[in-house]
Order: sequence, then structure tokens, then C-alpha cells
Amino acid sequence: MSEVMTVFRREFLERVRSRSFLIGTVLFPVFMAAMWIIPARMGSGGGTRHLVVVDQAPAGVGQAVVQLLTAPPPPGAADDEDRFTFTAERVAQPLEQVKAGLIGRVQRKEIDGYVYLPPDVVQRSKAEYRARNVANFAVLSTVQRAVTQAVQAARLQAAGLDGAQVAGLVKRVEMGTGRITDKGEEGGSATSTFFLGYIVGFLVYLMILLYGMNVLRSVLEEKTNKIAEVIVSSMKASHLMLGKILGVGAVALLQVGIWGAMMGFTTSRSDTLTRRFGMPAGALDVVHVPVGTVVAVFGFFVLGFLLYAALYAALGAAVNSEQEAQQFQMMVMMPLIIPMALVFRIVSDPLGPVATVLGLIPFTSPVTMAMRLASAPVPPLQIVASLALLAATVLAVAWVAGKIYRVGILSTGKRPTLAELGQWLRMA
Amino acid sequence: MNQALTLEGVSKRYSGHTAVDDLSLEVPAGTIYGILGPNGAGKSTTLRMVMNIIARDAGRISLLGGDPAADPKILRRVGFLPEERGVYRKMKVTDVIVFFAELKGIDRRKARTDADAWLERMGLGDWKQAKVETLSKGMQQKVQFIATVIHDPDLLILDEPQSGLDPVNQEVLRDTMLGARDRGKTVIFSTHNMEQAEQLCDSLCIIAQGKKVLDGHLKDVRRENLGNTWAVEFDDVTDAARAFFARETRFGPVAAHGDGWRIELANGADPRALMAELARLDTPVVRFERVQKSLHEIFIDRVGGAVTPNRRREVAHV
Repeated sequence: MSEVMTVFRREFLERVRSRSFLIGTVLFPVFMAAMWIIPARMGSGGGTRHLVVVDQAPAGVGQAVVQLLTAPPPPGAADDEDRFTFTAERVAQPLEQVKAGLIGRVQRKEIDGYVYLPPDVVQRSKAEYRARNVANFAVLSTVQRAVTQAVQAARLQAAGLDGAQVAGLVKRVEMGTGRITDKGEEGGSATSTFFLGYIVGFLVYLMILLYGMNVLRSVLEEKTNKIAEVIVSSMKASHLMLGKILGVGAVALLQVGIWGAMMGFTTSRSDTLTRRFGMPAGALDVVHVPVGTVVAVFGFFVLGFLLYAALYAALGAAVNSEQEAQQFQMMVMMPLIIPMALVFRIVSDPLGPVATVLGLIPFTSPVTMAMRLASAPVPPLQIVASLALLAATVLAVAWVAGKIYRVGILSTGKRPTLAELGQWLRMA
Repeated sequence: MNQALTLEGVSKRYSGHTAVDDLSLEVPAGTIYGILGPNGAGKSTTLRMVMNIIARDAGRISLLGGDPAADPKILRRVGFLPEERGVYRKMKVTDVIVFFAELKGIDRRKARTDADAWLERMGLGDWKQAKVETLSKGMQQKVQFIATVIHDPDLLILDEPQSGLDPVNQEVLRDTMLGARDRGKTVIFSTHNMEQAEQLCDSLCIIAQGKKVLDGHLKDVRRENLGNTWAVEFDDVTDAARAFFARETRFGPVAAHGDGWRIELANGADPRALMAELARLDTPVVRFERVQKSLHEIFIDRVGGAVTPNRRREVAHV
């Protein structure tokens, strides 16, 4: 068995020492963080908009709009960098007289746009907003809210009602979201739950795929260079395959471990980090996942890797070149891709029939279960059943793959047909 | 044990043709043994069966006293250089050698020291920490050769070791093979280059189309394939000598050769009679000897008709 260790060592050290490992290990979290931070930073941009209110509306409405737009944020509101501030000047001339001038000012970038309140705005509920950019949803909705509020206040006043009182009566209900786990209620919005399910599933998928391909390439190198012929004169082919898969797997685990440590550090500093990067408070809360879930996801990842690594090893031994391997890779990858294609279905209904079935089928279960575990309390019985099925499949596949591998790495000539593969199985 | 390797009636058939046909041979321990044959004769197939890389269909193999198929551990005492070369391209030179040494059970630290010594000896001292892929093809072959011998195997099996090496490195390889023999090791190598075989082999075997054509000690092979050509040279080539060979037909066909002549003695012709005739000429005979056939000539004589290569069919086989 010492040869297994020698092969393991070589596979592990050669990969860990490589520049691509370093780059991948460092760059991936940076990439993920960028995915998280940049949208939060870019969201709407914040800043100040200069508007002109062309006020033909009944007395008071225009002033109210300007006042609402330029009001300072209410005390106690979050120090939100995304918030827009406005400066607004009111002109009372008819639109036809000032329109050309306003357009000129917008073009000269002196102002960002103007709001036109027609004389019948209170009756017809129609106002106009013209600006260089009307696509900014946050700006548009703020302007719309201000005008609506001012017009509503005018109407209420005309009807003899107190604006503030009515506003209190018709206050919108805000719906907070949170997911419930076995341990009782937990935080996390609907979006962050989806993202967590997606990201965990994606990570498991990506790592199995990347490191599975590593096994494939490693097998192919030894086969095409005839290194395999020299190695199997010192050790059993099955031991070579074992050492190789474990060595590559250990690299994957090391990488995941490093990322885990980075993640742990991030969460321990989440308050500082959210403030530093201008993310909403609690944006990193999603990464608080129960230990049991982490262990289960880890189990599915390890077994999933072993399953696909064995398949990739057999594939690498059966073909003669990377080109040939590419033709068949899709067949191996397919079951891995299915949960990725159905990610919305699985994560939005993690306890539904699709997620449950895909979670039990051994070839789709690693990625599916990672997604489910990250987004819902999966019944423990299902977890155990799925793990047991997967483990049994790993053993069966490794047995078959080992036979194909043993014959394949020493074979020469053209790619085997399916019938010849069957022959290999009987031969080994 | 005085045989390092024994093959008895070994055969390998692929669908459609027989690559090795009932081959038997004996490799005495402590010698250099050449397996000679044209391309496609079955040399590599034979060596791959010995190394248990492919399974034989029939016959018995005894390698260092054991059957490699039943007891693969015995292969640890063998160093094998496959016909198609290759080492891990992305690894450092020393690491490659140490890896192969460790697989054969050599302690890592010892392997490192030995690798250093070998690399120095092979003129690769400056390349120890270089990646294999940055080396020239010849240097890579040297690295692979070191990886083959690093565990000081009792038996070296080299498939076409000379191919792709420049004359200087062929000399280095030759010295290494001779050195291994002098330390009591056995070296088996395959080649189709008869001159190199002639310089190196103690014993040899010629195979063609999967069958053994001849085998034995080089000396015996030569003796058994002496032929009946005689070389004659005189101290001074006189007119009388020229005239003698111009009309001489009793002993067999004559041809001028360098400063003298060669006579292919006919069956039943007595070299002593020829010698007596020559003694009567007016100039002393300085050379009268039976010409030794080169291995190349023996090879052509014996294999000539069978050199049409018999390539295996394109199937995935093992």
C-alpha cells in the first residue's frame, strides 16, 4: 500500500504546488465576493439629482412636491449610501414658455430633468417626468412617490380630511421573509435563501466537475505517455487508480478547506465587512449555516466526487486522446448538469417531488442534495437514504470503473466499442 | 539460478493474426541479451508479456525465478523502458526520478541522493530542478532511462533503447548497460540495429513474424553461421596473382575485395588445396582466413524473406 501513498503524494503535491491551484484558490472567492459586493455597490448608485418642477398645478401641490423631494432623510434611517438626494427649483410659468430652455439646460447638464405638473393633475392623476435617463427605477419611484403624496394631500384637503391621519390609516403592510428550520425560526430573506441554495449547489457541481476532469487528464497523461506501463510493473492498477483519485480529492478538500476558513473569517467580521463594502446590514447572514447541514453537504460532495472521479478515470483509460475524451465527457457530465438546469425548480420547492426524486438518484443527488440542504430542512431519513444509495453506487461504480481502468490504461489501438468494453469487464 | 528469464512456448494471438508464436528462449543471468528482429516481428509484444502488461495466450514465463503474471512483485526487481517514451512533462526532473524510485520501494532520501548522482553522471546536473517539458527530447530520454535504473534492478528490460539517441548518448547508454552487466545484472534489450547488437550482446535471439529464427551465444551464432567465404591477401599483388584469380574457377566464385580477393568456396572444395595453389605463386600469402559474417549478414540471410512487416490489425486490444 506504500505505493498508493507515493501516487497520492505525487498527485497531491504536483497540484498544490502548481500556480493554477494558487490562482484558483485565491481568485474564486474574490470572484464570488465581487458577485456579492458589486451589485450591492452598483445597485442604484446614489448621488444627487437636480430637478426643475414646472408647476401649473393648484396652489400648494408644487411646493409640497419640492418639499418632499428635498426633505432630509428621517432620523434613524439606515445610513444608506444608495439613497438619492434631490435639489428642486419650482417655476410657475406654463410649460410651453420654459420647455425649450429646460431642454437646453438638461442638454448642457445643468439639471437632470424636469417634472411637469399640469393644471388638472389633481383630477386626472397625470404628471410628466422628463430626464436624460428615465430608466433609473429608484429615481423615478421617488419622484412618483413625492408627486402622488402631494396630489393625495391636496385631494384629502379638498375632501376635508387630515392628510397625516389618512396616511396612517392606509399605511402599506411590509412583508418580511424568513425561513423556518428544525431549530426554529431563522433569518434570511427569500432571495438570500435562493442564492445560498444556488451557490452551494453550484460549488459542489463545479468542484466535482473540475476535479473529476483532473482525474481524467491525469489518467490520460499516463496512458498516452506509456507511463502507466512502467507504473503497473510496480503496483496494481487498482491501487494506482485509488491513489490518484484520493490525491486529486485531497487537493479539492484542501481548496474547499481554505475557502471555508476564508468564509469563517468573513462571517466573524461580517459587521465590519458589510459596513466597509456598503452592503446592507445582514447581507452576509446567509452564510450562517448549521453545522449538521455543512457536514451533510460535505458528505455529498465527497461521495459525489468519488463517484464521478471513478467514472472519469474509466473514461480516461478507455480513450486515447483529449479529443476523444471530449466526445464522451458529455455523457458523464449529463447527470451532474440536470440539477443545475433545474436549479429554480429545486431551490424554490426543495421539498417537492422533483427535488426529492433527484435527491435520491445517486448520480444527481450530490448537487441536488447540496441545493436542498442549503435551502430547506430536508427530512433526515431522506438524507440518510440518499447518502446510503450514493455510497452503494460509489462502490459499484468504482468496481466496474476499476476493471475498465485496469485494462484500458495498458490498451493500445483504437477506442474500444461497447462490446469490447464488455469484454474488458469479463477479462479483468 | 543461472537463467534470468526463460520463455517456453509463449504465444500471443490477436484477432486475425499471431503476434508471438510458440516462442522459447533463455536469457543467462549476468549477460547482455539482444532480441533482434525487423519491425513488427513481435519484439515489443514479447517484452510486454514478460512485464505482465499484456496477458499471454499460452506458454510459461519465468522471470528471476517467478512468474510475473502470478507474482507481480517480482517485477519490482526489473527496470523497464517501454518502446514509446514519456515521463510526466510538468514535473521537475529530480521529482520524476524519485517518484519512480519510491514506487519500487526505495527510500525517498536515498532516491534523492542516487538521482543526483545519476543526473551528474548523465550530464544533466544543471537540470535537476527544471521541468521535464523544458528539456530536449534526448535529455528527456536520459531522465526516463535514469528512472528505469534508479532502483538498481537485477534485470533491465529496454525496448529499443537506442532509438532517438545521438551518438554521444548512445555511447553513454552502452557504457551503462556494460556497467550493469559487470556488476552482475542482466540486461535484455530489443533492437533492429544489428551493429549495436553485435557490439553489446553476449547472447541473442532473432525473431521474425513472431517466430524464433535463431538464438544462442553470439560466438556460437557466428560459428554456426560462418559461411564458406575466404579472404586472400598477398604481400605484393603481382601479375601472376592477378592472372591466377582471373582464370581460377575450380574452387568457386571469386571477387576482388580491397587489396585482395574473396572466394566463396564451393561445396566439397578443400581450402587446403586452394592454399597449396596460392603457395605456388611468386608472392607470399599474408592473409588466408575464413571471413566472419557480420550479424547483419546473418540476419539478412536468415530473415531476408520474412521481413515483410506483419502489423497488427486496428483493434483495441490488450
